[in-house]
Amino acid sequence: MPPDPNAALSVRGIEKRFGYITAVDGVNLDIHAGEICGLTGPNGSGKSTLFDCCTGLQTANAGRVFAHGMDITGWEMHRIVREARVIRSFQKAVVFKALSVEDNLVLAGQMVGFPGMASTFGIGPASWRRVRTLREQAGHLLDMVGLAHMRHAPAGKISFGQQKLLQFASMLMPQPRVILLDEPMAGVNPVLIDRMMENIRRANQEQGITFLVVEHNLDAMKALCHRLVVLSRGAIIADGTPDAVVREPSVVEAYLAG
Amino acid sequence: MLMDVLVNGITAGSVYALVAVGMTIIFGVLRAINFAHGEYYMMGTFASWWGIETFDLPYIVSIPLALAVVAAIALAIGLLVMRRLIDAPFQIGVVATLGVSLILQNTVILIFGGTYKMFDGGWIEPVEIGSVSLSQQRILIVVASLLIFAALELVVRKTRFGKTMRAVAQNIEACNVVGVDVPRVVVGTFVLGCTLAALSGVLTAPVTVSLYGGMGTSITVKTFAIIVIGGVGNVSGTLLAAWLLALTESVVATYLGLQFRDGVAFTALIVVLTFLPGGLFSKRERF
Amino acid sequence: MASVSSHGVNTHGNYVYANRQHGLRIAGFAALVAALAAAPLVASEYQVHALIVSMVFLLPALGLNLIHGYAGMLSFAQMAFFGIGAYTSALLAMRFGTPFWLNIAAGGLVAGLVAIPLGVPALRLRRYSFVMCTLGFAVIAQTIAKNWVSVTRGDLGLSNVPRPRIALWNGGFEISDIKSYYYLALMLAILAVLAFIAIVSSAAGRYMIAIREDETLAASVGTPTWHYRMIAFALSAVFAGAGGSFYVHYFTVISPTVFDPFYANTLLVIVLGGGVGTVGGVILGSFMFVALSEALRIAPDIRMIAYGVLLVVIVFACPEGLLPLVMRKIGTSPAKEVANAT
Repeated sequence: MPPDPNAALSVRGIEKRFGYITAVDGVNLDIHAGEICGLTGPNGSGKSTLFDCCTGLQTANAGRVFAHGMDITGWEMHRIVREARVIRSFQKAVVFKALSVEDNLVLAGQMVGFPGMASTFGIGPASWRRVRTLREQAGHLLDMVGLAHMRHAPAGKISFGQQKLLQFASMLMPQPRVILLDEPMAGVNPVLIDRMMENIRRANQEQGITFLVVEHNLDAMKALCHRLVVLSRGAIIADGTPDAVVREPSVVEAYLAG
Repeated sequence: MLMDVLVNGITAGSVYALVAVGMTIIFGVLRAINFAHGEYYMMGTFASWWGIETFDLPYIVSIPLALAVVAAIALAIGLLVMRRLIDAPFQIGVVATLGVSLILQNTVILIFGGTYKMFDGGWIEPVEIGSVSLSQQRILIVVASLLIFAALELVVRKTRFGKTMRAVAQNIEACNVVGVDVPRVVVGTFVLGCTLAALSGVLTAPVTVSLYGGMGTSITVKTFAIIVIGGVGNVSGTLLAAWLLALTESVVATYLGLQFRDGVAFTALIVVLTFLPGGLFSKRERF
Repeated sequence: MASVSSHGVNTHGNYVYANRQHGLRIAGFAALVAALAAAPLVASEYQVHALIVSMVFLLPALGLNLIHGYAGMLSFAQMAFFGIGAYTSALLAMRFGTPFWLNIAAGGLVAGLVAIPLGVPALRLRRYSFVMCTLGFAVIAQTIAKNWVSVTRGDLGLSNVPRPRIALWNGGFEISDIKSYYYLALMLAILAVLAFIAIVSSAAGRYMIAIREDETLAASVGTPTWHYRMIAFALSAVFAGAGGSFYVHYFTVISPTVFDPFYANTLLVIVLGGGVGTVGGVILGSFMFVALSEALRIAPDIRMIAYGVLLVVIVFACPEGLLPLVMRKIGTSPAKEVANAT
């Protein structure tokens, strides 16, 4: 099956084994440009491994990954981020704790704000201008996620939910095309969950960013996603609209068994 | 000539192995590299020498004395410093044990002076085996280290303490949950590891004859090479790696020159780290 | 299982974000420079010498601070690079009679160039493996210095290294009295500190901090982590090499003892004691170290014991180092600002 050139992210036959365990077993998946696609499944179903293989954190044993028709298989993570503009979040490590809230955003924007590696060492007016632009952009994003009042606080000192919002905002800095979110709602209180969903929707509608979201919170997924894909034992067992998918017997069974 | 090289290599390798296995088991439970490890070797030698010089003890009596002294010091360091390294970031382990190394080494120099001392003890009568002549002490070193490795393997596999040790090495959090006294195991392992280093020092002293306060440093760095080559946490790998390193050193010292001997360990270390990060004898992850 | 590396607590504990006290910092730096510039007027010749030594050690210490405090890699190779810079400069000056400024540039450059091939294997390693590998460089460098007798004269070392000459219209003059050395060292120290500040406050400096905090997360915001780790490693070598170069032109002798662990420990005391990941802390650390070592000069063993105790106490009692501690005491603590901000 050739990759869909219009798909924001195409996965073809991805397989990942750890010793005798097959974590991802020949998955094919197309994430269409502009959609918010949910990815769910019981623990150990291979969601995170699939994520890791798409973003260069792990190398798949077989299969290829395409972003906007471009073959990104085997690229290092930073190159996928820079050149394919496919950005991911992490469950545990969320922000750079020693940097201020604002500097977290400036850092994330540097890859578009600074043209080359040599320019990152610049100390002249051109560099100041670049950083100032990034700070302005950061200011807008902090307003959007509601963290503007703590822009100078070290990111390690704000609450975990706020850190997740900050992480989300920092992913918007480098003008991404695809964002992969790894459990954005886990460990976040209900008020911030609503704010997070609102921000995802806005980024999707206003900037046309494609989302692939791994999440266990099915209610949030139903409310947020255009499409839901369910993974079990490394293979896709259901794919469709959220309402249809959660009623499928195989999905119910996988969740009960898992 | 070749026989000498072989004998020297095996003897020195057994000495290194005893020191290195101590560091390996300490790393196992603590996930920290002990930069002071060679100092316990040095202190073992000094304690034995001190017993012989000051109280005119026979060598055989000075051995338990040395072990007791070093075990006591190790217990103090274990309680004061090493216990705090549980779950600490790795830099803290490096800097703290480096500090301990400076303290121990220079305290010994302060007390006994920085000059070379002569070690007068042990069984240095030559023994003829076929055409080879070697001292009794060398035979003792090799036999003792083999026995100790066998005993250690037995302790780790069969005894209660050994099992807790392995449990802590595998998963500290789980041990905390099921109520294992982790600090106690850590300190116990640390004392055991340091005492092994001291034993190695005492056994070697009659062969190397001279001792001085700074002698631990080169032992520490050689130990790094050995545990990396042998695969960290791998007891039998440690023994093989120690022999391998010592034999190579012996060959280099004989055919290239003594001054190149100490470079062997680090060249081997860098080569192994670069090409075989898990060591020659194991597939464990990097550390 | 691949997950984002969680190194746990950030032992550096520094707060690089505090830009608000920019003015205060510049004033502090200016005051320090003024005080140092005036120092030879009141200080004894011996004290001036001690100040020169502390400014010589400031350079490799800044390098260690860059690689450890900012890029998060504990390296023991600093003294190897210091020695390489020193030997390079000495050989250039002795064999070709090259001028001082060229020597110091060459010392830094050669050290930086040597760091690159060393970095290729070393930077694949993390944590302990990296520490051991860099320690190995120092040992191997010492072995080479001892045994390459035709170039380094082995254990004897090189002596009678020419003193720096400053070229002027009237033919220039040789720097031979201690006060001229002092001002040369001060100038060099100021340049080094400014260069250091420029590096760590640039976008690249932010990348380095990101790598220290969490390498995987840094890659996820598009940081080519390997490249920046390599650059930090090479730059730290440049600082050390330049320091070594000045060292050899001041003491006019160099021997393989420069690679001894003593000096590596000294650098650790300076950087960790002063305040890792800060600029002021390392400056404070160098002066503190010289004060300490001069105070304990009569008893080198006790000095080393004091270093040992200091290292142990620092890592457990104040892992941030002295400067952040002092700052908190006088109430300009970044931590307090944060409390107000949140």
